Amino acid sequence: MTAHAKLPNPPISDPVSDLPVVPYEKLEEIFEDIRKHPVYDHEIHGCLNCGICTATCPSAQYYDYSPREIVQLLWTENLEGIYDAMQEKIWACAQCYTCAARCPFENSPGGLVMIMREVAIKHELPSVKEVLRPFSRVLLKVVSTGNQLAPNMITKEAFPDWGPNVAKVDAPLMLLRKAIPMPTMHTLDTAWEVNLKTSVELYTIWEATGVLKQLESVDENLFDVVSDVMEEKRDEWEEWLEDNEDEDDD
Amino acid sequence: MTTTSNPVPGAKGAYNGFGADWTPTKLTDTEAKRATGWVEAKIDKRFLLTGRDRKDDVRDIMWQLEKDGEIKVHRVADHNEPVIAKTLYGWDKKIPTNNLWHHKSCGQCGNIPGYPSSVLWIQNQLGIQYLDETDQTSCTAWNYHGSGIGNVVSLAAVFLRNFHQAYVSAKAHGLPEGTYYPLVHCGTSFGNYKEIRGFLLHSAELRDEVKKILAKLGRLVDGKLLIPEEVVHYSEWLHVMRQRIADRQTIDVSNIRATVHPACHVYKMVPEDVIYDDTVLDGNRVAVTTGLLQTLGTQVIDYSTWYDCCGFGFRHIIGEREFTRSFAIDRKIKVAVEEARSDVMIGHDTGCITTLDKNQWIGKAVDKVYALPVMADCQFAALTMGAHPYKLAQLHWHASPFEGLLEKMGIDWEKAKAEFVSYLDEVKAGRIETLYDPKRAITSGPGYVKPPKALQGA
Amino acid sequence: MSDKPILIVGGGPAGLSAAHAAAASGRKAVIVEKADRLGGAPILQGYAKLVPSHEWAKDAIGGMVARVQANPNVTVLTGAEVQAFDGAPGAFVATLKDGRKLEVDAAILATGFTHFDSLNKPEWGFGTYPDVVTTVQVEQMISSGAGIRCPSDGRVPDRVAILLCVGSRDRQIGREWCSKICCTVSANIAMEIRELSPKTNVYIYYMDIRTFGLLEGDYYWKSQEEAKVKYIKARIAEVTSDGNRLVVKGEDTLVKRPITIPFDMVVHAIGMDPNVDNMTLSAVFGVGLNRYGYIDKATTYAHLAETNRPGVYVCGAATGPETIDDSIAQGQAAALAALTGAGVPMLKAAE
Repeated sequence: MTAHAKLPNPPISDPVSDLPVVPYEKLEEIFEDIRKHPVYDHEIHGCLNCGICTATCPSAQYYDYSPREIVQLLWTENLEGIYDAMQEKIWACAQCYTCAARCPFENSPGGLVMIMREVAIKHELPSVKEVLRPFSRVLLKVVSTGNQLAPNMITKEAFPDWGPNVAKVDAPLMLLRKAIPMPTMHTLDTAWEVNLKTSVELYTIWEATGVLKQLESVDENLFDVVSDVMEEKRDEWEEWLEDNEDEDDD
Repeated sequence: MTTTSNPVPGAKGAYNGFGADWTPTKLTDTEAKRATGWVEAKIDKRFLLTGRDRKDDVRDIMWQLEKDGEIKVHRVADHNEPVIAKTLYGWDKKIPTNNLWHHKSCGQCGNIPGYPSSVLWIQNQLGIQYLDETDQTSCTAWNYHGSGIGNVVSLAAVFLRNFHQAYVSAKAHGLPEGTYYPLVHCGTSFGNYKEIRGFLLHSAELRDEVKKILAKLGRLVDGKLLIPEEVVHYSEWLHVMRQRIADRQTIDVSNIRATVHPACHVYKMVPEDVIYDDTVLDGNRVAVTTGLLQTLGTQVIDYSTWYDCCGFGFRHIIGEREFTRSFAIDRKIKVAVEEARSDVMIGHDTGCITTLDKNQWIGKAVDKVYALPVMADCQFAALTMGAHPYKLAQLHWHASPFEGLLEKMGIDWEKAKAEFVSYLDEVKAGRIETLYDPKRAITSGPGYVKPPKALQGA
Repeated sequence: MSDKPILIVGGGPAGLSAAHAAAASGRKAVIVEKADRLGGAPILQGYAKLVPSHEWAKDAIGGMVARVQANPNVTVLTGAEVQAFDGAPGAFVATLKDGRKLEVDAAILATGFTHFDSLNKPEWGFGTYPDVVTTVQVEQMISSGAGIRCPSDGRVPDRVAILLCVGSRDRQIGREWCSKICCTVSANIAMEIRELSPKTNVYIYYMDIRTFGLLEGDYYWKSQEEAKVKYIKARIAEVTSDGNRLVVKGEDTLVKRPITIPFDMVVHAIGMDPNVDNMTLSAVFGVGLNRYGYIDKATTYAHLAETNRPGVYVCGAATGPETIDDSIAQGQAAALAALTGAGVPMLKAAE
């Protein structure tokens, strides 16, 4: 049993369900957002239904997921099927892009899945929060530091199935980090030491590209934490700039 | 059915050892030979694919845009000492070999630190100039592929911000802009950057959006977006340097049976840009890593799930762990051990190494004990050049049992481990050995040390 | 119209047919053939039994060769290539590579195709595993009398997979056409394998089956009903090996499950590429190529065989994937066009 199976059932067109049917206009709106995505036309051109994508798909081996089905639903504009797939199936994709490398029509089912994930987030579909919950640590890290993984995230509590020891030499984590011969990596909170200006520049990118808005819609608490960190770092940077204004002789 | 007692004319075609089950046609012996002879003589390999008329090379658009004054191309220049490699369709790709800007991988640095340190150490051995600095973010594509948070514009802005910094970084040390060329450590960054570069070159709208953001950051060159001539993965650098690495090899590995796990985002994304080398498996598989291992004298063993991914899945490694470990064990590790009788599995990407290495431990719970060492090509290469397995290759972060492999390579790992443990006391006392002067790592802001006046503004 | 001979470039089914038609109507024809003998792909590449007649290629095409060779109106130049082609309709001069010059009235390009080189799809194992072969190689196994054997060790295969659309219908490698003949040829080969080796099971992996027209009954249906050939709607993703047998990964799209299946031999049904020499031919004869790289036809309906250069005609697989029997028909059409000066306005004005 996978985590997918535990998700709530999508409330569409089920004759025995009490849940309200999703209005057709809503389904159209979702599809429009997919179709208008800047790279949609780049990722889909048609379909020969040859199945080479599903043949080579790692997720199709373990889940009720088929990239060919995703392409077929989108190409035939099967609005209910698209909505249904956006509940669970799109989250089964492992994003390896083998499908795209093989497709004789040069479609990218993996790329289409990414578009559908973006749109699922935009529409705050019920599955999204559930699916992204375990990912929040990564989200926090990447948005606030520009690093996606940090040494202090790899703990035996977080990864009990990785064995009892994070490293085969028993020593405090920071000591082991300092024994790495690259000075940029003597860190715990980030994978490498990140320049203060770099983080501040990154925040500008997040703001300008709507990423913070996305984050707010999937996890408000996380958004608040990130906002605090951002403010702190920006203040720090401003302070440094003020302190160093006089010295700057350029 | 296997009667060979009655050989007939024409039975001695291209296929040796064949009998004759069939009444022959009226072809004479010579005619039959001529008929099958061509099979042995291959048609000029990929001949028809080398023509630009069949497949578009995105770099053609790039040069046109530069000519039109829309973008600036960061070239792989002479001082980067480029070596030409051939890609899938026989196109040329310029691999810079010197003056490199290390674009680190968050997964490697956070989890498998011996991965980047081996690359830098090899470059020290070969006298290669480089910069490892703090002004860089990850590509943020692991997060995007895992969560759907992010978008083409954010990925493009992050990409060009990092590459712009690579371009200007040398100024901080009094060297001219464009001195360093970015070398991308992570396979996902590599695939993502190439894909985004394609989107940028194809879409004027995307360029406009990204340009506005980079202008705000002061990250344009002459008011233009800076696009790299080539996006280069460190494994490509290893590939073109493989002979020079082998020249400094001190450890014989001809007794080692290695399996290669090629990374999806390295060779399946933007496949036309991937190195295929006629001297490596006849050019039928991606050349990086396999070419290096063969040059080092390792036996590279094929296996039936060679094309499969590792099971990383981006969000699966975090939220669908059962999938990740089942896939890693059943479809990769088990096959490499049982089918290929492999001593080690060598990869060239962050997520793959992590997945294949860390997920073996849990196999014990279901009696799937395979104990296959997993490491990156650069770590293995560094070991063959005499790198310290703990201090430099940092193998203690690996969960898979590499000790047996080291023994097979003739390396005394117990002695090395003891050396490392006593080195930890030195570290504790502040006597830390590094691969380069730590002051160089900071190029602006707090901690930055300006170069002497004489060098400024050069 | 002059009484100079008609130049025919290429001595395969289309060229042989054109030469015969021209000569039969009393005109002289010169065949210039690059190879050392006539017959084209069916002979040079050792085809076995042809579709739809089931005649051996050597007998069927060999008969056409003999007919032309015996005709006093036809001059055959083998091992020869045209290097330059100048002049105007009725007064062309063809210069051969060895310096010989031919004064001709018109030219017919019957230059054929080149088989797709399977090395260009490395993930399907050709060039990596000896037991991955092409349809042409299977034709040769049959026509040479070698029988169906795995090249690696000579064993008779238990299970053979034929992969359709290798080098066809594939944008990844810039081939956005159907090669037209491979479905029927593969059904034919499958039946031949079953006949030669009844213990061998044959599976055909397809995207669509295009045994057009009457070939449906004689090949698609018959191969199932009589030869028990199995058809699976699946495009294979990769061919690998577990050290003993080949391993094939696909999705049975009708059953909707990914499948991994062992095979002893995998056959690539290779498609028809434009002749590798088409760029040269285009420059020498001043004819255009279409966007796929085949020789372009000037009109679709008025005259079958016209190119964009008056007095230069084209027929057979030079214009796109084509069957042998249609190539023969087009050869006759091209001869008629050349005899009547089709598409040559100057001639009409003079009459």
